[in-house]
Amino acid sequence: MSTAAVELRAISKRFDAVVANDGIDLVLARGTVHAVMGENGAGKSTLMSILFGLVRPDSGDIVVDGETRSFQSPLDAIAAGLGMVHQHFRLFDSMTVAENVVFGAEPTRGGRIDRAAAAERVRSLADRYGLDTDPQARVGDLSAGARQRVEILKALHRDARILILDEPTAVLTPSEVTSLFTVIRRAAEDGTTVVLVTHKIQEVLDVSTEVTVLRDGRVSGRFVTADTTSAELVRAMTGREVEIVANPGTGTLGETVLEVEGVSVTDARLERVSNVSLSVRRGEIVGIAGVSGNGQHDLVAAVLGTTPVSAGRIRLGDHDMTGAPVAARRAAGLAVIPEDRRGEGSAVTMSITENLSLGHHRQPPIGWPTGFGRGWMSLAAARTRASEQISSYDIRTSGEKQPVGSLSGGNAQKVVIARELSFDAPLLIAEQPTQGVDVGAIEAIHGRLLDYRASGRGILLVSHEISELLALADRVLVMFAGEIVAEFDRSRASAERIGAAMAGAAAAAGEEWTA
Amino acid sequence: MIARLTRHPAVVPIGAVVLAILIGAVVILLAGLNPIDAYAAVLQGSLDVRNLDYTFSVWGFICGMGLVAAIPLRMGEFNLGGNGQLVLGGITAYVVASQLGLPGIVAVPLALIAAMLVSGGFAAVSAPLATRFGIPIIISTLLLSPVAVAVASYLVRFPLAEKGSGNAQTPVLPEDAHIWSLGDLRYTTVGLLLIIAVMVIFYIVDSRSAVGFELRVTGANRRFGEYAGLKPGRLALGAMGSAGAVAGLVGAIIVLSSPYRFIDGALISPGYTFAGLAAALLAGGRPALVPVTAILFTILQVGGASMERTAEVPRQLSDVLQGVVIVILALRVVLDRRRAGAGKDS
Ligand SMILES: Nc1ncnc2c1ncn2[C@@H]1O[C@H](COP(=O)(O)OP(=O)(O)O)[C@@H](O)[C@H]1O
Ligand SMILES: [Mg+2]
Repeated sequence: MSTAAVELRAISKRFDAVVANDGIDLVLARGTVHAVMGENGAGKSTLMSILFGLVRPDSGDIVVDGETRSFQSPLDAIAAGLGMVHQHFRLFDSMTVAENVVFGAEPTRGGRIDRAAAAERVRSLADRYGLDTDPQARVGDLSAGARQRVEILKALHRDARILILDEPTAVLTPSEVTSLFTVIRRAAEDGTTVVLVTHKIQEVLDVSTEVTVLRDGRVSGRFVTADTTSAELVRAMTGREVEIVANPGTGTLGETVLEVEGVSVTDARLERVSNVSLSVRRGEIVGIAGVSGNGQHDLVAAVLGTTPVSAGRIRLGDHDMTGAPVAARRAAGLAVIPEDRRGEGSAVTMSITENLSLGHHRQPPIGWPTGFGRGWMSLAAARTRASEQISSYDIRTSGEKQPVGSLSGGNAQKVVIARELSFDAPLLIAEQPTQGVDVGAIEAIHGRLLDYRASGRGILLVSHEISELLALADRVLVMFAGEIVAEFDRSRASAERIGAAMAGAAAAAGEEWTA
Repeated sequence: MIARLTRHPAVVPIGAVVLAILIGAVVILLAGLNPIDAYAAVLQGSLDVRNLDYTFSVWGFICGMGLVAAIPLRMGEFNLGGNGQLVLGGITAYVVASQLGLPGIVAVPLALIAAMLVSGGFAAVSAPLATRFGIPIIISTLLLSPVAVAVASYLVRFPLAEKGSGNAQTPVLPEDAHIWSLGDLRYTTVGLLLIIAVMVIFYIVDSRSAVGFELRVTGANRRFGEYAGLKPGRLALGAMGSAGAVAGLVGAIIVLSSPYRFIDGALISPGYTFAGLAAALLAGGRPALVPVTAILFTILQVGGASMERTAEVPRQLSDVLQGVVIVILALRVVLDRRRAGAGKDS
């Protein structure tokens, strides 16, 4: 008997014009943790969906335990011993953890679901793998990390011997990630084969035994983790060398460009931001760490002026802007790269030129600010300016007329960044500036932000990625449940400390993984 | 490939028209009549050379009312109050032209300007109603329109009524206050030139001015506009004011043209407002396309009468076809907006 739990042979799949998988071979050795990595759109999710019977391949074979299979649906895959935790959870919010775990394979007694047996089963599985969960809790009340544990339990309950995790760490705090990795190692020791899909190099190095790298739907590298380096992995992912930029250290600080004093934001009677104070000076990058949804976005909206504050003051430079409209704040020197690129940061149906022009359209060279031409735009100037920015930001496009909605996520993000940086505002708020952006482009964006700081301006950087904050920020504030719970200077900031602050607050709120 | 074809922006509008024509054909068939004869009569009636003078004037009015809908549509708002704005313009123009006793060279332009101001002001009320009180523009325009129609109706029946006439109408305007006709054409007047001028202005403002750009951004993604510092309330005020002014202009032109009086119901019953709305939706609000789509509804409107005469199909069928087009296109707008709002890339 071969040691391969699963073999995928020459899997190909195309969607219309996109070749998502192009002759991919993947061998998963039994009892190993196999990382499948690649940039966004490399075809990872498609490959996993094919393995789990969600998507039918155009060609290629799936061999499980030496037997060629043709999965008609996930049910066939589950019967063959596979389990999958999706990028987006598929649970019933109104049901308990135990009910969700056993759903579709319920223990019965006398033809009825045996709730006690179900709860017991969940408890024993949870103990065995170190997955802390309350079987009676309602899934709708759980945090993202806890939901993910339910998904994992669900797969284990059905005796999955091959466990597929698609980007499982995207929704987790750093300490939850650590605990997840403990669970993964334990499962592998138990003989389970784990497939970890990710685009984060550190995770691959931390937990996997072997790595398969995908690029543009093909395998671009196969490595034994112990024998590889991050540089080698990046090269396989991007097809080129990527220089790692990092903050060279604090420069000279200038005057204060943002002063937030005791600001609270209340939305639908919920306090989203509680009594937050912070300031940003010229020449510094102030980072805000925290798991998504802890009030960071509401704080940004309050500074921008799209959300009113319920208490506190906001100053931009010398101006009190607490109740001012957005236009006045932008005029006083504010630029914002928003988190929600499609909903707030762009008009997807409009062209690159139009998206790049908004906010610049009344100033030269596009608009005439005064005199006879006031209120008119020069379309030629807008086009010229757009093509300059397309080349300087390396936006991959068929032309400046292309609608932003048809660009890839990373290129659409570059449009937003180009527009906002070109305001040359004393304060830039960058919210998740590299989300959905490929590794190569991430470095370019980081370089831009550092240059922006070096030119004597201030940046407030909101990020879920600790590595991003460590690479760029001069100070890091940690936000939890609407409050700032910790602050670290560059010299004292480390992934462990920031993670501990994020997790410490989470533990206090009773949301901790206990591994 | 097929997916790419079906995504072309022209597919839905053309599909809507084809579907409307097919539904019309089915209705005619069910009535036991011949759809080909009926449609042939529509085309003949509207494109008949002897009728062209009239057809052109109708096209002008539909273009005008098309702008009334298209200008707010640029920022994603629906102006359903065209009738009220139209009638208010008509009655204002009548009052100015008849009551002030001015010479024609002054009376006609003054009447046009007054009509634009009154209707523009009336339509603009919907903007603060939306910004301050959260009443959507589509609702307030719809609800305010009958009020204006009723006021005009009262005026023409009582204070301004023609004495001794059984009809609810004003006396004929003095000769001096008739809008100048073009050569010896009966229906087509300087008014048509004015409407064409307004269309050209709308096109230029839409494509070249900062305000036009801001309107389009707001229509494409309101949150994006607000994030960038645009003020949707002010834009709505401007858009509704301009739309109302155009409606007032159309109303004034109609009253100052043959038969040179305000007749209760005469501005509304030809259905210019509805046809204009359909033309604007079909054009997706694009200024350059409104005059083109207006041609279609002009043909339906003018040809409807001759269809009734020669093919014995009631002219209301024209309204049914317009209705089908509007419903399909309105659905598209709603779906597009929902998709844009819910969309997330990854
Ligand atoms: N259902 C689908 N329809 C059309 N295109 C798809 C579909 N699923 C994936 N794709 C395309 O296939 C490519 C690979 O996507 P995916 O497998 O999700 O990549 P990854 O998970 O590595 O980010 C992308 O270009 C994506 O747009
Ligand atoms: Mg994916």
